[in-house]
Amino acid sequence: MKKILSLLLVIACAVPLALRAQDNPTLTVSSKQQVVVGERFQVVFEANVEGRNFTAPSFEGFTVVGGPFTSSSSSIQMINGSVMRTIRITYTYALQAYQEGTFHIGAATLTVKGDKISSQPFDIKVLPDQGNPYGGTTGNSTGGSSNTSGNWSGGGGTQSQRNNTDPDVSGNDLFLKVFPSKRSAYLGEQVVLTYKLYTRVPVSSLSISKAPAFAGFWTKDVSDNNGGALRQSSEYINGIEYTVAEIQKVVIVPQRVGQCTVDPMSIECVAQVRTNRGSRRSNDPFEAFFNDPFFNPGIMNVQKELSSQSFLLEVKPLPTAGKPDSFAGAVGNYNFTSDIDMTELSTNEAFTLTLTVSGSGNVELLQMPVPVFPPDFEVYDPKITLNTNVTAQGLSGTKKAEYLVIPRRAGNFTIAPVAFSYFDPATGSYNTLNSEAYNLSVKKGLNSDPDGGIYAPNQEGIQYLGSDVRHIMSGDARLKPMNTVFFGSALYYLILLCLLVLFIIMLFVLKKREQMAKDTAANRNRKADKVARGRLKRAAQYLKGRDQDNFYVEMSQALWGYIADKLGIERSKLSMDTVSETMREKQVPDELTQQFVDTLNSCEFARFAPGSAEEKMDDLYQRGIDVISKAEKVL
Amino acid sequence: MALLAFTGRAQQTAEEWFEQANAAYNEGYYDSAVVLYEKIIATEMESVPVYYNMGNAYYKMREYPMAIYCYEKALKLDPSNDDVKTNLAIANLAIVDKIEPMPQSFFVRIWRNTRSWLSGDLWAWCSVAAFALLLVAMFLFLRARRIGLRKLGFFSGILFLAVFALSVIFAFQLKSASEVQDQAIIMAPTVTVKSSPNESSVDLFVLHEGSKVALLETSNGWNKVRIANGSIGWLEADKMLPF
Repeated sequence: MKKILSLLLVIACAVPLALRAQDNPTLTVSSKQQVVVGERFQVVFEANVEGRNFTAPSFEGFTVVGGPFTSSSSSIQMINGSVMRTIRITYTYALQAYQEGTFHIGAATLTVKGDKISSQPFDIKVLPDQGNPYGGTTGNSTGGSSNTSGNWSGGGGTQSQRNNTDPDVSGNDLFLKVFPSKRSAYLGEQVVLTYKLYTRVPVSSLSISKAPAFAGFWTKDVSDNNGGALRQSSEYINGIEYTVAEIQKVVIVPQRVGQCTVDPMSIECVAQVRTNRGSRRSNDPFEAFFNDPFFNPGIMNVQKELSSQSFLLEVKPLPTAGKPDSFAGAVGNYNFTSDIDMTELSTNEAFTLTLTVSGSGNVELLQMPVPVFPPDFEVYDPKITLNTNVTAQGLSGTKKAEYLVIPRRAGNFTIAPVAFSYFDPATGSYNTLNSEAYNLSVKKGLNSDPDGGIYAPNQEGIQYLGSDVRHIMSGDARLKPMNTVFFGSALYYLILLCLLVLFIIMLFVLKKREQMAKDTAANRNRKADKVARGRLKRAAQYLKGRDQDNFYVEMSQALWGYIADKLGIERSKLSMDTVSETMREKQVPDELTQQFVDTLNSCEFARFAPGSAEEKMDDLYQRGIDVISKAEKVL
Repeated sequence: MALLAFTGRAQQTAEEWFEQANAAYNEGYYDSAVVLYEKIIATEMESVPVYYNMGNAYYKMREYPMAIYCYEKALKLDPSNDDVKTNLAIANLAIVDKIEPMPQSFFVRIWRNTRSWLSGDLWAWCSVAAFALLLVAMFLFLRARRIGLRKLGFFSGILFLAVFALSVIFAFQLKSASEVQDQAIIMAPTVTVKSSPNESSVDLFVLHEGSKVALLETSNGWNKVRIANGSIGWLEADKMLPF
């Protein structure tokens, strides 16, 4: 009974005390004033009295991702006999900002003994999301989750707790972040992604459970594996020290234009968590057994899956203005050199032309420029060597193309310079570099044939390098008025007519001349008999006077003259042969011709052999008269 | 006399234009070369080099229908020019339509090939020469004393008479071909050949710029055309350039 009485006393005492504590009931609110889009944060309402009907304001502009989580604590202090009782009730909301701007959070109300108390309304400014570390948590919310000893284990991030038994490994203790080297890049420009694990608890095993797909990107893992050990450093975020491990480094090269989403990366790890003895209750007997402090005092292994946040990368197209013809997609900052090992050589001797592109940029995807060799050169496929290394800025390296070339013909040749163009994202402009031009002098090799035999040149067909229309005609334009055709023109007919007239005139003239010639011949023919008779008469006189010489002269002249006139033979062409031939042509009977020739012969003979008998002269005279009269009948 | 002097001066400026145009062509200013060649044509003067060079300039400007037109004009003046024939063949490769020509009979082919040995004017001169030789042969035949020469005159006379007759026929054919515009080049990018000379008639086939058609008759702004493979249809006259 006494016990009951003393208990009542205590209550009686406590009530006024409690009433004292309730003197000034307040509802305070604490939150971040500035957040970034996508950031998760907590709004904590704290009351110092117990009340009913807590109504939260509408969190317009934010998404409520958790809450309200209620937690309460009370403490009683006795100082110098006075008893102080403190009550603390918190209502915690987890919010996420999804759009930028300034948002007003209204008052929350709580009914305490019929009276309504309300919190102070306030504004939250949501800033655009820029370049700040992505992923995990922005777990530096006010108050820190370590202070909230409620049943909320959030903290944020897109992390999921597979193992829900652990309230102590929060997003603030262990999270994954991705750091892109830039947020917007040109097509083909390399971007380095660094994935870092931030942890405040020891992590024992680490494996990538889901690598990002990187759709629309060319990728290359450039993590430096120094013996499997991760590079660790420490970093402070909002005054809290984290151990940072670089998990992976990837170079991505965008291959299409536009807003490209970079997928998150997920990792699985085992965190070793110091447990608070007794504070946890597990329903799983096995887990309770293995995690028993007897085996592992105060340490518990928790398997966790973390993932980074996805983010957008803006891929800009390459400018079309000023794009050189030789541009083949190289983006970065390069140097282009060329080298030749010899410029004076003999036929069938090989030389090497080396083109080297070096610099920072995506050397692996680089297309080497192709040199143009003189057509008679035998060119082998280039040997391409690639040498890359990774720097903080990404990939860099050297690409080398070695052309083995054999000139097959002697002469002086020029290898034209090759142009290599690239786009420099730093300046936003195209650059073109040219290799050197080389003058080669190729001498005829002494030992052209490798077998040492006689060099037989391999005959080849002509190589056609291109086709084009034939060149224009130069020189005289040979202009003439349109529609002037020579055929059928007056000039044409005139020329034909002239030719015809000329022909007719020539025919006519010739005929006339022939006529004239014929006329003279006819005259001579007519007179031949007469002349011959005259000569014969004189010969008869010489015959009477026995003048042998003169007789023969007259006789010979009479015969020759007669036949020449009669046959139309010129005196100069007169001979025995022409006479007989012409007579045959004129179809004089052979015997008459024979007779005439005989008479002529004997006449000539007697003339140059004088001293013959007189009767011979008479005979010759008779024969002469005879043949002339016979011939006169025929001719 | 004054007229002659005027023509002489006009010809001189045209020659200068020709040289300027050639210089422009060599420098790569094909459009200004074309303008100058057109100026020469506008003076009612023409020649194979002018049309040929103009065709080349059009070809370089990728205006293949005009290039083909110019080459065809040049070829009409001189069917024997090898350069023109080559470039026309190259330009014809650049156009859309590839029309298989109708096979010609052997004799027609021989006849046309022979005719294209010389230009019309040269055939006319050839006929003059053949005529002169014919007269010489006749003279030999009529007046020679020797029987061999007479025989030679007789047979060569027959030969020259044949050459004369043939070249007169060729020259006549080429002359009449040059006086009528019986062929045309399609200038519109695409044309539809109709079955009769009105819009509503049946579509027969489609031709593209640069194709050559033969003009058969004209009716009411429409031309009856035949293409190289023998197909016949009607086309609006303003879509082609006759030559």
